[in-house]
Amino acid sequence: MDDDNKKSEDPLKINRRHFFSQLSVGIGSLALGSLLIPDLFSSKDPGLITHQLGIPQFAPKAKRIIYLFQAGAPSQLESFDYKPTLKKRMGEDLPDSIRNGQRLTGMTSGQDKFPLMPSAVNFKQYGKSGAWVSDFFPHIGKIADELCFVKSMHTEAINHDPAITFFQTGSQQSGRPSMGSWMSYGLGSENKNLPSFVVLTSRGKGNSQGLYSKLWSSGFLDSKHQGVLLRSGKDPVLYLNDPDGLSRSDKRHLLDNVSSLNKIHHVDTGDDEIESRIAQYEMAYRMQMSVPDVMDIKQEPEHIIKLYGEDCQVPGTYAANALQARRLAENGVRFIQLYHQGWDQHGGLPHEMAGQAKDVDQASAALILDLKQRGMLEDTLVVWGGEFGRTNYCQGNFDPKNYGRDHHPRAFSIWMAGGGIKPGITYGKTDEFGYNVVENPVHINDFHATLMHAMGINHEELTYKYQGRRFRLTDVAGDVVKDILT
Amino acid sequence: MYSFFNNVKEKGLQWNAVEAADRNYFADAPYITISDEDTENILSFVNKKEAESVNVMVMNDSLSRETFVFNRGEYDQPAEKVTFNTPKIILPFTDKYPKNRLGLAMWMTDENNPLTARVFVNRTWEMLFGVGLVETVEDFGVQGSLPTHPKLLDWLAKDFMEHDWDIKYLIKKIMLSATYQQTSVASKAQKKADPENKLLGRAPRFRMTGEMIRDYFLTTSGLLNPEIGGPSVRPYQPAGLWEETNAGGNRGTLTKYIPDTNEKLYRRSLYTFWKRTLPPPGMTIFDAPTRDYCEVRRQKTNTPLQALALQNDVQMLEAARVLAQKTLLNNKDSEELVKTIFKRILLRTPKEKELEVLKKYHNETLMKYSSSIEDAEKLIAQGEYKQLETDPVKTAALMLTAQVIYNLDETITKE
Repeated sequence: MDDDNKKSEDPLKINRRHFFSQLSVGIGSLALGSLLIPDLFSSKDPGLITHQLGIPQFAPKAKRIIYLFQAGAPSQLESFDYKPTLKKRMGEDLPDSIRNGQRLTGMTSGQDKFPLMPSAVNFKQYGKSGAWVSDFFPHIGKIADELCFVKSMHTEAINHDPAITFFQTGSQQSGRPSMGSWMSYGLGSENKNLPSFVVLTSRGKGNSQGLYSKLWSSGFLDSKHQGVLLRSGKDPVLYLNDPDGLSRSDKRHLLDNVSSLNKIHHVDTGDDEIESRIAQYEMAYRMQMSVPDVMDIKQEPEHIIKLYGEDCQVPGTYAANALQARRLAENGVRFIQLYHQGWDQHGGLPHEMAGQAKDVDQASAALILDLKQRGMLEDTLVVWGGEFGRTNYCQGNFDPKNYGRDHHPRAFSIWMAGGGIKPGITYGKTDEFGYNVVENPVHINDFHATLMHAMGINHEELTYKYQGRRFRLTDVAGDVVKDILT
Repeated sequence: MYSFFNNVKEKGLQWNAVEAADRNYFADAPYITISDEDTENILSFVNKKEAESVNVMVMNDSLSRETFVFNRGEYDQPAEKVTFNTPKIILPFTDKYPKNRLGLAMWMTDENNPLTARVFVNRTWEMLFGVGLVETVEDFGVQGSLPTHPKLLDWLAKDFMEHDWDIKYLIKKIMLSATYQQTSVASKAQKKADPENKLLGRAPRFRMTGEMIRDYFLTTSGLLNPEIGGPSVRPYQPAGLWEETNAGGNRGTLTKYIPDTNEKLYRRSLYTFWKRTLPPPGMTIFDAPTRDYCEVRRQKTNTPLQALALQNDVQMLEAARVLAQKTLLNNKDSEELVKTIFKRILLRTPKEKELEVLKKYHNETLMKYSSSIEDAEKLIAQGEYKQLETDPVKTAALMLTAQVIYNLDETITKE
């Protein structure tokens, strides 16, 4: 750790230079920060995981983010980017003028032909906005007027690992802090009893790629900012459950004795770190209550279960995680990261993608509706999308009923909703082949800058000095996409 | 330096993980085969365990490739051609060294190279004192901090070289010093005069690393298997962690986590198997780096997840249970029991106040479990280590007393 960072993490140690460099943010924002995060400056209680940096730089539109990550990269051509031209020119080779030197993965670079393949599934227009959505996603179609479709996403990465790492950490090479960790570092937590960054995973039946804990790692930031994986089993947080034969009151009794002895030692040694240890034990004790409580969806009424679909009663499914995400959001978790694996359709796309879509369609839409009916959509930003797109040409045998698509980094679609994002719009455009972005490109760095902006952070100013230079989520790039902000 | 190691063709894994495992194929040529004959002679420092031979990847020095500075880092824009060398300011890389990795090794350990020994001595100092004489142990360059005691650092480095780079000698030298043996109790005046203890007027207090903490529990409970060398082992890990995040299907040896059994559960944490995409949580919770980036200096955080791991990880609970049972076999009197485990864990005699708290807790817990033997039996069913012939109620009470001590700040702190 660098001295510079230590100081910025501890308000009591701010030195003169640091104080003045903070002035660019404005003294007024300090007060704002303490209003938004009530316990911000009562740092006498070391049990808080509120971060002293926790200062939105300007009024945030979103207080939290729910990121519905579709790992493996769902095809934009069978979801939200409708391309009738592909049907007209079915089987024709991808024109060189369109491919324009794009590198291919080793999985299709050996093909001598790149025949254009239209979507096997039909599209419909929905709502006032008239957004085109495929029949794989009828529920998402119905809420199209709440969504902002970005059809001009692009990335440099062409394989899963670097591409997901890029989306989650702003760099293709692993080791940087995850987006959720940056948010936790910059804004702290709203809840004393839960971590500020949590992760939920699920897997569909489609072709899968692995996930890695480095995706929610805090990198060089303090490890209290790392994502906490909440699991579906009986131990939602690792080591949360007490052993059999030890009741809750036994545990209290045990901890009280740990505390008394720690206090004796605190007096003897004069090391205040011991006080902090006592507070962390108390927080752990509270988490043993609060986490199972948040995770217990049995408390949900019938109409909510219906909204998310029957699957949501099966722990570990995407639907259950989506419902869980809403509960965590209600409880003040700052960044909720879902992953649904299984979107890597190199073959058997129509069948596999239908299954994947069925896993997520209803529950994703339900989450938006549920947040809205609780008045939470205003300040909760929801994102749905994968790590890149898929090729408009066929991988493997040319069979319009059973085909595959390879990785395509140059253009793909995601959607966002809520917290400061304009509803019912489509941003960006691809060419008639769905291959290149022709209007308003959005790079991953731009996407990150925009999310941070919605959360009240200037992406160029939230930095951490490490190995001799300052790092940020967007590193040296990124422009806020102002057109999609309310 | 990088180009020293870049004189090789880069070869990746040639098959997928399942095939690689089936064919017992982990290293591509060039590799060396280590046999028993080698380990008995020239490679006597290698602890090879299996009778069969072991293939180890090595790098091939025979190829030399051209290296370029890329224009603004773009891989398709090679600019100036460069060749390897070392910073002259440290020690010129003269013709007396061969221009290969052997030469680099000779240069690094040359008695006129001031850097290697200083860096090593500084890291050893950091391990023992929590902070290096140069605080930025990873950086002795212009961005690093200056040494607090430059002459001491130099003297230790020289002494270390003169004693044949003997690490044990170095550690003894430091640990036998009056500075190391000071108390870590800090008076108000001391804290005010030197809050960060830069002048070493007292011993430091700092939380141990994840590896040290686990080893400490194993040692104090008498569970530690001190065996040296051999392949990595898989101790306890919460079930399902690998399975939840892998890509599904059979992806080779890393698809499922199958814990080892018996004495392999109690090896030092140094030997714990490391899956890079999902490292052992018991280590990362205590700030072990993910090994994506080189991280020389670890953070020393203090989090609720650490509190949970210390309370509920089966490895920790088992240590408390086994310590309780072993102690019960040799002691009868309540005060004696409490004193024994206290001394065993904290290596000191409890103070009057501490003993009072613990005795009272022990007695209360005894009473509690006498009325619910079933709970006592459930509680002590922790870990694979064989149950010793002790009374379940007494075991449960003493196990929880041990748990209280195991969860003290002092236990996981080096002071």
